[in-house]
Amino acid sequence: MSSVRMKFLCDLDRCIDCDGCSVACDSGHELALDVRRRRVITLNEGIPGKEFSTSMACMHCTDAPCAQVCPVNCFYIREDAIVLHDKNTCIGCGYCLYACPFGAPQFPRGGIFSTKGAMDKCTMCAGGPEETNSKEEFHIYGQNRIAEGKVPLCAAMCATKALLVGESTEVDRIYRDRVVARKYSRGASQTPSTYPGNAW
Amino acid sequence: MRKILFFITLATGLFADNKEFIDQIQGDSSVWGEGRFINIPTYYDNGFAKFFVDWQGNGYFAMLAAVAILAVIVAFAGHYAIVGPKHFSHSHGKIYAFNVIERLVHLIAAVAWVVLVPTGVIMMFGEEFGGGFFVRLCKNLHGLATILFAISLIPMFAFWFVRMLPATYDLKWMFMVGGYLSKNKKPIPAGKFNAGQKAWFWVATVGGFFMIVTGALMYFLDYPAPVINETLGLSQIDVLRLSAIVHNILGAACAVFLLVHIYMAVFAIKGSIHAIITGYKEEEEVYILHHYWYQELLKKGEIKPSVFEQKYTNLK
Ligand code: SF4
Ligand code: SF4
Repeated sequence: MSSVRMKFLCDLDRCIDCDGCSVACDSGHELALDVRRRRVITLNEGIPGKEFSTSMACMHCTDAPCAQVCPVNCFYIREDAIVLHDKNTCIGCGYCLYACPFGAPQFPRGGIFSTKGAMDKCTMCAGGPEETNSKEEFHIYGQNRIAEGKVPLCAAMCATKALLVGESTEVDRIYRDRVVARKYSRGASQTPSTYPGNAW
Repeated sequence: MRKILFFITLATGLFADNKEFIDQIQGDSSVWGEGRFINIPTYYDNGFAKFFVDWQGNGYFAMLAAVAILAVIVAFAGHYAIVGPKHFSHSHGKIYAFNVIERLVHLIAAVAWVVLVPTGVIMMFGEEFGGGFFVRLCKNLHGLATILFAISLIPMFAFWFVRMLPATYDLKWMFMVGGYLSKNKKPIPAGKFNAGQKAWFWVATVGGFFMIVTGALMYFLDYPAPVINETLGLSQIDVLRLSAIVHNILGAACAVFLLVHIYMAVFAIKGSIHAIITGYKEEEEVYILHHYWYQELLKKGEIKPSVFEQKYTNLK
């Protein structure tokens, strides 16, 4: 069990900027309008041969920097490497956002004096510390599809199956097989296999 | 009819939510817009992310603050035990030092700092306090107290800054640590404010200004700020990282200076806190600790020669 490591991978040759993943996420988790856990963006738009799109959310990093900097230590990393946090402990300081390489943590606005609400980010559809599949868990964190044995919404909804999520060796194998079969590859945006800090 | 309906939908589309909706889905966000992707390489290349994660992740900021605060407290305890407080006569004349506006502005700043420093320290040690409601409350109080401090900052600066400019005798004051290492009473080279008070003033005003700015940058988080970004040559997320670094380190300095200030006013010079409450300083205290100010007042004819002229030496 502990050898299972979940990861995200977005195949840059397949993503067509349809926004299926982000719409599925926003809608399925009933997110507030100002929170976008997943986003699709096109880079080098209009430059022939260089334009590509990718889908990005929390990448559930190894030794996640967000969890390292949180002053109230509200993060917990599951055995399967999914990085989750407790919104009731979070104080909305924003440090996790400063530390995150992918700009994943989000802060709903609109509290009194426009204070930042508790941090919100992708849960890889694994809910939160609340009782699994309870009303509270859904209300605070969204669907817990992992507990139901389902693939996270974004990847399930991806029309071209550019976005993959699952056990890391399996995800890597699928991507490798694809590249071998189609004989070209622009690359992938994926969960870093080592702590980003190690790259320094 | 259809035309009218068309216009109504058009109008609502324009005025109701169009812009707001686009804002809300972060189309114009300086953190979660395109920058979110462009920032990925800067996370690896730019020093701020590394420094911030290292320091915050290993608790160095909190350790720095804790060590500094503990060191000051130990130093005070030692000073109090070994040298002991200075007492000045409360039965001689008094010299009017602070008018009512100065005292009021100081009071506002004082209330603000007494809230700001402990709540800031609690946030640094948020984990020890269990996070959640209590620490969140402290964070909100920290924000509210900032408004108070911001109100007092400009008048405070305006009232005192001329007298807070450094003078040559400040060096002498520093070499003798303001005479606090002995209980001997002999005139100390200092104007209305001594070098220590001057240092505190600059930390509180200029340092405080940067605390407000960096705090506000972090508080508002996501806003288009091309001027800041261009002058610093940093993306919004790096501005935030830099703000957090500056805020944490400067915050430790502010905490230390506040403690020194309180220790001086309440313990080291017994009863000197009354000067900022009533406006009057004890004549003996002024003669000894603010000797040049005494001479200045004398020359201006605002006070009469003190009986302490006989008792103590006089500075040139
Ligand atoms: S992508 Fe960001 S929020 Fe997600 S685990 Fe990594 S650092 Fe944390
Ligand atoms: S915003 Fe919340 S989760 Fe993020 S670092 Fe601060 S307390 Fe931790």
